[in-house]
Amino acid sequence: MQTVDLAVQYRQKNGDKTMAVSGLSLSVAPGEVVGFLGPNGAGKSSTIKCLMGFVEPHAGSASIFGLKAGSISAKRRVGYLPEVALYYPFLTPYETLDLYGKVQGLSGKSLRTEIDNLLEIVGLGAAKKKQNRTLSKGMLQRVGIAQSLLGSPELLMLDEVTSGLDPVGRKELRQLLKERQKAGCTLFFSSHELAEVEMLCDRILLIHKGKLVEERDLGSLKEELRKFSLEFVGHTSMVGLTSELEDFGGNRIRANFTTKALLLEAVDRAKTGGAKIVDIVSEEGSLEDYFIDKIQEAA
Amino acid sequence: MKVWFALAKGVVLESLRRKDLWVVAILGFLMMISAGALGFFGFEGLQAFAKDLAATVLGLFSTVIAVITTARLMPDEIKNRTLYPLLARPIRRLDLLIGKLLGAIFVTWMSFLLLCIATGLALLVFRVQFEPIMAQYVLCKLLGLAVLCSLTFALSTIMTQAAAATVSFIFAFGSSMITRALVMAHESNPRGAGYGFKVLNGVLPQFGLFDLGGRAANMNWGPVPIWVIGSLFAYAIVYSSAMLFISWMKFNRQAI
Repeated sequence: MQTVDLAVQYRQKNGDKTMAVSGLSLSVAPGEVVGFLGPNGAGKSSTIKCLMGFVEPHAGSASIFGLKAGSISAKRRVGYLPEVALYYPFLTPYETLDLYGKVQGLSGKSLRTEIDNLLEIVGLGAAKKKQNRTLSKGMLQRVGIAQSLLGSPELLMLDEVTSGLDPVGRKELRQLLKERQKAGCTLFFSSHELAEVEMLCDRILLIHKGKLVEERDLGSLKEELRKFSLEFVGHTSMVGLTSELEDFGGNRIRANFTTKALLLEAVDRAKTGGAKIVDIVSEEGSLEDYFIDKIQEAA
Repeated sequence: MKVWFALAKGVVLESLRRKDLWVVAILGFLMMISAGALGFFGFEGLQAFAKDLAATVLGLFSTVIAVITTARLMPDEIKNRTLYPLLARPIRRLDLLIGKLLGAIFVTWMSFLLLCIATGLALLVFRVQFEPIMAQYVLCKLLGLAVLCSLTFALSTIMTQAAAATVSFIFAFGSSMITRALVMAHESNPRGAGYGFKVLNGVLPQFGLFDLGGRAANMNWGPVPIWVIGSLFAYAIVYSSAMLFISWMKFNRQAI
């Protein structure tokens, strides 16, 4: 999946034009799990709509599996979950999936079996004959997730995937998406839930005001954000290792490090210098703080 | 074709669950009760009046159902965002429009036929003899309703739901009057601007052509020639296709 210099522009009712996305270039490799992040109004949904062919790009191009985004051949290979959808209020989850399945070109016993399986997987087995209008927001989101999985798509494009789900639902969804990834499915999803992103993604793309402001491998980012500290009593030089020193009085000092190697070096120096080590801490950095910083930088 | 019928089935199911057809059933029941009451008090010999009344009531209710059912289809799809999962499937936007329009036509036809059955039972009270012209009336009305659905559908893609319904009602109920006015305007000035009235008359839907109600109510009228029915059928196909084309032109490039 790829976009090159993508621009999406909307015309408002008063005739003014709003640029929702501009000059956006991104690519997602097969089998990757990519989180698409950004504050409200950043252009996430517009980008996804463009990739699905709901909106024509004002400039640039978008493709999926080398095919024009939004083309019938591309859509055959994609499952899509919209940001918020009510689904047909007077149909049941089973009928909703049956409708989408038939529109997708599926039919017969294989479709019926797949619908039953999907409804069980998303936890709607018992509610499959209730009308959608009687379902909670979380249950409707499950209907949405089930419909996106119809036909075993190779790419899942999920817009605000965890919206409306309770913690149990989120955990089940994570499990489900991980299984799909193991089966070779590519996942591209937008979310505000950084915890979800952290647990699922290989890579993140951060967008702000329609432009890509950050593209990072999540493993290396987490490593970069990790904080290490050594607390000791005594006199030991940390010159060359860190300048972040906190003095608590009585020769009690805490030194903070950016890498594990520096921490280990500091531990060696403390031992050699005869200092008494009180605590060694390794803690995850805050992804949230990182994103807020990046957004503020971009603004 | 399968896609169209799957979409149409969805529309019909939704309408059934919404209890739209219940309104029809209740109206039909009321018509039967009223006719029964009139029959009880001895209004015999009023067959022509009863048939005329039945045709008027059928025309009125079926028009209301056609417009209300069709006008909300596409605006509701967009408002409820049910359009997205549909268009994410490997279908063309034209397929979606055809499927939805077919659904609206099926719902309207089902309602009309239900009303016809109720009306037929009510007419039995007046010992009305069934004649071939009545079957022709039903057939032409079905074609006219299909044209009305396609007009409302096209309007609903270019204006709001309420505006589309209002304009459709104006055309449906004022068709004969509008036609008469345009013909008179053309005749008073056959050249120049008057020619525009003639063209406009040709473009606007001619719902009056599909209404054989007056003819069916009259005791002395026989069935209309087959070529007339054939021509109406052709007109309905061409006009509905044109309306579908207009819907597609608007919807195909629309950002959603």
